[in-house]
Amino acid sequence: MTDLRDIIAQIDLLEPVPPVAAQILALADDPNSSLTEISELIIHDPALTANLLKICNSAFFSLSRRIDSVRDAISLVGLDQIVELVLFNSLSSNFNKELVGYGLGERELWRHAVSSAHVAAMLADRFGASQTKHLIFTAALIKDIGKLILGRFVAFSYEQINILVHSKGQSFNDAEHAIIGMNHEELGALVAKRWNFSEKLIYVMRHHHLSDESARQDLETVLVYLADLICMMMGVCTGADGLSYRFYSDVLNQLSLNGNDLQGIIAEAGKNQQQVEVLLAL
Amino acid sequence: MEQRQLKSNAVAMMTAVNFSEMKISRNPAETLVAFSIGSGIGVALFDPGCGVGGILNFMLPDSTRAAGVDPAKVPLMFADTGVPFFVQALFEQGMRPDRVKLVAAGGAHIMDQTGMFNIGQENYAALKNGLAKYDLTIQHEDIGGTSSRTLSLEIGTGSSCIKIFGQPEVKV
Repeated sequence: MTDLRDIIAQIDLLEPVPPVAAQILALADDPNSSLTEISELIIHDPALTANLLKICNSAFFSLSRRIDSVRDAISLVGLDQIVELVLFNSLSSNFNKELVGYGLGERELWRHAVSSAHVAAMLADRFGASQTKHLIFTAALIKDIGKLILGRFVAFSYEQINILVHSKGQSFNDAEHAIIGMNHEELGALVAKRWNFSEKLIYVMRHHHLSDESARQDLETVLVYLADLICMMMGVCTGADGLSYRFYSDVLNQLSLNGNDLQGIIAEAGKNQQQVEVLLAL
Repeated sequence: MEQRQLKSNAVAMMTAVNFSEMKISRNPAETLVAFSIGSGIGVALFDPGCGVGGILNFMLPDSTRAAGVDPAKVPLMFADTGVPFFVQALFEQGMRPDRVKLVAAGGAHIMDQTGMFNIGQENYAALKNGLAKYDLTIQHEDIGGTSSRTLSLEIGTGSSCIKIFGQPEVKV
């Protein structure tokens, strides 16, 4: 087994997420916060502001006039979109890297992350979780951040993990834990903690494969889990772990989802993917 | 039969076939690739007689169950609408059913995803059903399980490859 201290020490080698990202997230899901507070936060980060204005003025949004302030950006483009762009701006450089152990090429984990975040947001609307939509979106976006570090350890242990998965029927995350001593959920939660993300966000990341029974009762975690499954089934940049995670039909039953509903959701997600591809190309 | 060999100085071209898409080619320098197929199925058809081939990468079995999506806009998302669309497009390019080589890969499932939730299995049944209407049968397949697969088709040689991470590539 790997010395876990070696793994944990790698957290500091990730490109740190600016504190402003966590602060904006907290404000975005707080019903008492104002747009002024959010735009104040953004304008104190000049690089972020410049990037945001550049993207808002790009052809993607095709707005009728040029945007020259963050306040304008929020009112014209919408808060959801601004939160999304702030997250993309803070995270994409980490996620763009190639991950050998997971069989993912450059930008592939990012593509999977952005796609599952969009599916998660769609599910949040459908299942009455619009209050915590930003949290759900963010959790789906960064849930696999542990893979950025664990990738090289998985690469060394892939044979052993593969035996547990394909001969013993263990899920990939359970096999990671058994062989390496830690899985990408646990490591991801540690990263989120180091970056001062909220307790709830850490919880969802830690349990997004629902191994823990109590997490199956938590709507936000369940929706992030479901979005992940849907992206695996659609085949959005799945890697070495493939679809080797557990399916809990009880969770779908709780949401009153049958097989047809699941197919309908996948069709809708597949249709929306075109929009996601445009966004990824920005 | 006409010999279709890649010229040594030709630049090989790789064209991705995303889900809910198909690509058809008669360019011997081109390789079509459907990356990371999950529950959907990649179907590679090749007719060595006329050198035309294509890949369809569909995602779901049945367009009538897709609430909120207009199948007329995305016929290639579904087996029931995508297979006829794909096969007829190949017929128009001169493909003949008696000469076709047919390879299928995908139809995977999440662990314990059984019964009505096993979309991979339904996709496979819908594919066979769709192909039977044209008297087409699958010559080689790798279906089911919990791995994602990459399927490619070299138009120059007509050979297909199925790749699962960590396993040797299977060339047919």
